Amino acid sequence: MKVEGWFGTLELSPEGAVLASVLYSKDPRELTERSFTLSETKSFLPPPGFDLRKASLEYGIFESGAEYDSLLHELTLRKAKLQVSKALSVDQRIIQAVEALDDINETTNSLSERLFEWYGNHFPETGLTGEPLASFVAKYGNRANVSPFDPLYEKAKVSIGAELPEADEALIKAFAESLCSLYARRKQLEIYIEKSLDTRAPNLTLLAGPMLGARLLSLAGGLSQLARFPSSTIQVIGANKALFKHLRARAPSPKHGIIFSHPLINTAPWWLRGKIARALAAKLSLAARVDLYSGEKRPELLEKLEAKVGRIKALYPTPPLKKSGIKAEKSRSSEKRKGPGKGNGKAKGKSWGQEKAKNKSCREGKFSSDTKPATNSMKGRGC
Amino acid sequence: MLFLEGIEYRIWDPRRSKLGAMVLKKFEVPLRKDSRVLYLGAATGTTVSHVSDIVSEGAVYAVEFSARSMRNLLGLADRRKNIHPILADAGRPERYAHLVGAVDVIFQDVAQPNQAEIAAKNAARFLKKEGFLLLSLKARSIDTTASPKQVFKNEVKKLEEAFEPKFEILKARELAPFHEDHLGLIAKIRVSENEKI
Ligand SMILES: C[S@@+](CC[C@H](N)C(=O)[O-])C[C@H]1O[C@@H](n2cnc3c(N)ncnc32)[C@H](O)[C@@H]1O
Repeated sequence: MKVEGWFGTLELSPEGAVLASVLYSKDPRELTERSFTLSETKSFLPPPGFDLRKASLEYGIFESGAEYDSLLHELTLRKAKLQVSKALSVDQRIIQAVEALDDINETTNSLSERLFEWYGNHFPETGLTGEPLASFVAKYGNRANVSPFDPLYEKAKVSIGAELPEADEALIKAFAESLCSLYARRKQLEIYIEKSLDTRAPNLTLLAGPMLGARLLSLAGGLSQLARFPSSTIQVIGANKALFKHLRARAPSPKHGIIFSHPLINTAPWWLRGKIARALAAKLSLAARVDLYSGEKRPELLEKLEAKVGRIKALYPTPPLKKSGIKAEKSRSSEKRKGPGKGNGKAKGKSWGQEKAKNKSCREGKFSSDTKPATNSMKGRGC
Repeated sequence: MLFLEGIEYRIWDPRRSKLGAMVLKKFEVPLRKDSRVLYLGAATGTTVSHVSDIVSEGAVYAVEFSARSMRNLLGLADRRKNIHPILADAGRPERYAHLVGAVDVIFQDVAQPNQAEIAAKNAARFLKKEGFLLLSLKARSIDTTASPKQVFKNEVKKLEEAFEPKFEILKARELAPFHEDHLGLIAKIRVSENEKI
């Protein structure tokens, strides 16, 4: 029987005695290389309980136990260092990019609100918000400069807005330019994240999409952490942040983690969302593990997920019976409201659906990079 | 660190270490100075460092899954020649089988839902027949809805019956007040009846 150990290959008798050996050089660097390969091979594993150290000492491969231990120590240390620096550097770059993206989103949201108010004094009829407004202002400044070929030309001529003195125009134009360049940075970050995530975690990217995948990785603190989470945790990753927001700003209490922004869930009828979320979380967890350990792309993961969602949809084509549905939700939602919200606890059949909808739009606002910039600033402006 | 009459003593905080708590809970910890220990869930090495002290002529194979934790552990392993750090998933022992070989003790503290299975897989591969498994079970990472008592009962049953090898539990005790809702366990591989004869 052939057995692979870190120092070489042994040929064993059926009783487990070493008959012959083929050894690697005792160079730690070479041994480390081999060990990476050996971790991937599933054949020639030592049989259960086989004592590699004892066997190799008895067969005279090492002069002493101390030699065995110190060479093994060098190997493991070297290997772990390589693995750590590789894993940490890639994940850290993705995490930093995701957080930078969030910072930019927050900033562009508040700056574009400012621009909307500010420019609105001068030209309230543009109907533009967000990025389109920023580039409009950066281009023209004063509404008197709007080109006759611009669709807003007519409106600019008859605008009821106040005058815009030159000094103010220079300021507001520069402000809009800064905002435009932030939007450009955002695009750049998104492209970077999409690419990096697809390289680091192709299967997660396949199932979650690059932005959701990157957020999961980022909130988990790295791919290895994400791969370690049970799928029940993956379901609620990101809910903490929403909880904070909820406590601070009376936003709806978080029922779900960020995976609810996944199209398979947010386009599904409400009574299926929980079930689909569970299925999705389970597959995401699997995908993260495949990415961590093998790294090869497995398209069948997506097929399986879609098949599973199809089965769920077929199994529950209609909403659950009203009575039990309302009851269950009633007790749950009043429980949720015990918290800081004032909540009147009246969760009737209809308002239930509304609450869901509200909840969703809140989430969209929060993960704005996944939505159009316009919706963002609309939301900011709203009410 | 303390020095008393020329001997160095290190402080072992039972609230930061499951093994430390097990010692105070009167577990007979089966570590000798030449033991070889497979430590699953090494984290940053708080407990590993104490085990490394005890097994001065043996070795600790310190398996940890998180690269971030492993980074800290590496500092320790750099200084201590009897710690062999392994960045791997304890649920996939075949990936480090070529490094580990046979061990006298498996210590596991991974806080995972499938802890029992992970223990069995590793014991099957690495634990000597007369070796020991030390396990810290965290109720909340297994099931957040059931009561800890119930969870512990189920897990013990799993260890006794569900996998290969089956274990014989020698002692089980909760680690409160040092760790709430944690069960400490010490077990051996159960020798099946026909093997005994
Ligand atoms: C509770 S901590 C261990 C603390 C450590 N025993 C001590 O006392 O210093 C659990 C550790 O197990 C690690 N872990 C969880 N699942 C694992 C797995 N499948 N393989 C390896 N390590 C794992 C976690 O990353 C975490 O660092």
